Amino acid sequence: MEFKILKEPFLRALQRVQGIVEKKNTMPILSNVLIEALNDNIYILATDLEVGIKTSHAATVIEEGKITVSAKKLYEIIKELSDEEITFKTKDNDWVELKSGKAQFNIVGLSPDEFPYFPRIHDENLIKISGSMLNDMIEKTSYAICHDETKYNLNGIFVKAVEDGDRKLLRMVATDGHRLSIVERELSGSICPELSNGAIFPKKGIFELKKITEDVDDDIEMTFMDNSAVVKKGDTIVVMRLVDGEFPDYTRVVPANNDLLVTVDREPFLRALKRIAILSSEKFKGVKFNIDPELLEISSSNPEIGEAKEEIEISYTGNTMVTRFNAKYIIDVLSVLGDETVQLHMKSEMTPAIIKPASDDGFQAIIMPMRL
Amino acid sequence: MTRAESCRIIMHVDMNAFFASVEQQRNPELRGKPIAVIGRGRTVVTTASYEARAFGVKTGMNSWQAKRACPQLIFVVGDNRKYTWTSTRIIEMMRDYTPLVEVFSIDEAFLDVTHSLEIFGSAERIAALLKERIREQFGLTCSIGIAPNKMLAKLASEMKKPDGLTVIEPGEVKRVLERLPVKELCGIGRKTERQLFLLGIRTCGELGRFPVAILRNKFGIVGDHLSRMGRGEDDSPVIPAEEAAEVKSVGHSMTLDTDINERREILTYLLQLSEMVGRRARRYGVRGKTVTLSIRYADFDTWVGRQETLSCYINRSEDIYREITAILESIVLTQPVRLLGVRLSNLRYDSDQLPLLTEQRKELFLTDAMDAVNDRYGNFTVTFGSLLDAGKLRDKGSKVISPAWRPDGLRNVEVK
Repeated sequence: MEFKILKEPFLRALQRVQGIVEKKNTMPILSNVLIEALNDNIYILATDLEVGIKTSHAATVIEEGKITVSAKKLYEIIKELSDEEITFKTKDNDWVELKSGKAQFNIVGLSPDEFPYFPRIHDENLIKISGSMLNDMIEKTSYAICHDETKYNLNGIFVKAVEDGDRKLLRMVATDGHRLSIVERELSGSICPELSNGAIFPKKGIFELKKITEDVDDDIEMTFMDNSAVVKKGDTIVVMRLVDGEFPDYTRVVPANNDLLVTVDREPFLRALKRIAILSSEKFKGVKFNIDPELLEISSSNPEIGEAKEEIEISYTGNTMVTRFNAKYIIDVLSVLGDETVQLHMKSEMTPAIIKPASDDGFQAIIMPMRL
Repeated sequence: MTRAESCRIIMHVDMNAFFASVEQQRNPELRGKPIAVIGRGRTVVTTASYEARAFGVKTGMNSWQAKRACPQLIFVVGDNRKYTWTSTRIIEMMRDYTPLVEVFSIDEAFLDVTHSLEIFGSAERIAALLKERIREQFGLTCSIGIAPNKMLAKLASEMKKPDGLTVIEPGEVKRVLERLPVKELCGIGRKTERQLFLLGIRTCGELGRFPVAILRNKFGIVGDHLSRMGRGEDDSPVIPAEEAAEVKSVGHSMTLDTDINERREILTYLLQLSEMVGRRARRYGVRGKTVTLSIRYADFDTWVGRQETLSCYINRSEDIYREITAILESIVLTQPVRLLGVRLSNLRYDSDQLPLLTEQRKELFLTDAMDAVNDRYGNFTVTFGSLLDAGKLRDKGSKVISPAWRPDGLRNVEVK
């Protein structure tokens, strides 16, 4: 195979796959990218068997063919080249020759036959979803994903389509066992059975999905095959193996009778929390909420450093209540909300609290307090 | 000797035949008689009273060896709880004289009284006051050594037993050490003694004068330390408990009454140990990421130990037991088991964050409720069904006072 390509698009394409290739080096082929030259395009593929990506780029193909080479080394080489045009050519025994200006590299690759199978998608099954909506939904849930690998069923986002009357909704849920985030948005078009049943998208795949939906208003297309979700946007295809596990019954976690309502301005609340959280250490994590009518006092104390408190105005009509939260959990929620006013729905000191933006019915975060 | 060192005044207090004396005080019928404290289920002498020592009864003897040495010997089964209680009270007394009290073991402590003299006059007076109070309150005697450093203070307390008070003045150090056999120094065991003997060193005087280079060559950096010991130099500080390095692990081990083979029986003990470790970790609000199982075989020499580092921090007894069982599965036991140990390390403080999922919250509240009952009515009042096996119920709790036992903090292992 042989092709000529410009440095900038090639470099961008290679940079794109760096996050996907396997770093642990358990299977050498997974550290490689597959490069295929076909018609007037080259296709770049990378996978770690959980998440795979395929992109295509215009190039001058002289001879069709394919090869795999180390994703990291190739990227490093291309990055340092100073000439515009690069010639990429395979030789015998999976060797690759790279030429650009007066620079010449011969690097050893691996046979493309060893590269894992990448699903071929059929266009007819694709459903369309708004990219910006998906991006926003991921933003509002991914912070709650669990990073403890033993709880594998929580290492992703649960995605499910539900019908609410004659509306169709796409719902995303993430939890780490201490807090949970739910967002739902209206979906137009058809729903496939996989989405109706619900599927857990893996954490790594979710972040790739977030990347390809950044800064675009276009729709993305989605389908399911071989226990994987396939997402297509323009020339890029992302495939992710769904998490094989049962997502916990989140509907039972969402409290129904949280009648105590606190309304507070988001910005001052967030700033105060960030300040007060400075004095909550690993040992004495957590900030104390002293909720009085019209006034919320947030305080923290750390025997090794000192203590801090701050009062902020709220609207609240219930009795005085004292509770304690991990400040980070509330900061995370407030940081992904754009709204000016947020509501805390609570019931008691030791039961889950709900945080919602005042103007968005489609989002709620549930946070479990700490022991007093 | 450096100047800083020469102005310190360190006291070492060693309770005389501690366990045996406590027993004799509790039961007047035992006073003045040869007694030996033995472990429950085991037949090894833990401590012998001075009356018994006169007949040649020694710590570590079998009961039949002891009986042969002293036919009228009375055996008393040890009650560790009594000893730790008494020890804790005595250490509280010591703290009336200086905050710098380092608990060395259940019956030994170091006191740095350098800065207490303005109030109490002299170290001898503090020693006399302390001895008097211990005698008055508990009827116990102790030997006290006073010297410029810990090593010499310990040496001094050894010089007169029971009920001694020995002072080594800075000026006397050289004379005292000159003809003292090296094995008398704390830290020189039989092996080191033999190696020194091969170099022709028998006394501390000889050790102190011996060329450091040769010692260093033979013992590494310990060589320098040995040389200083020979000259009576020791600048190690008296470290009170609060300042001691943060505890790195929570563990319990158990020497079994009889050697066991049966897997089911091993699991029962492991569950019990997991509960003990879990309880202690929860009481001090820590969670651990690494669990270690240690097993000692019947021949008493071979250790099998394996540890596993998890992806999350645990402190529930059930979780510890589950991980320990998994480790046991990976070990092929080649002999009957005599000792089992469970340890939780890689600790961090519990954040008190409640779980969101109802089931996990229930598990947590269940553990809380069990702990609350056991705190109030004693360990194992409410416990796992599989521990209710009739024969074992009597044996709950640590039966050995570990050398790391301390009167307060995480190391205050409850013993039986």
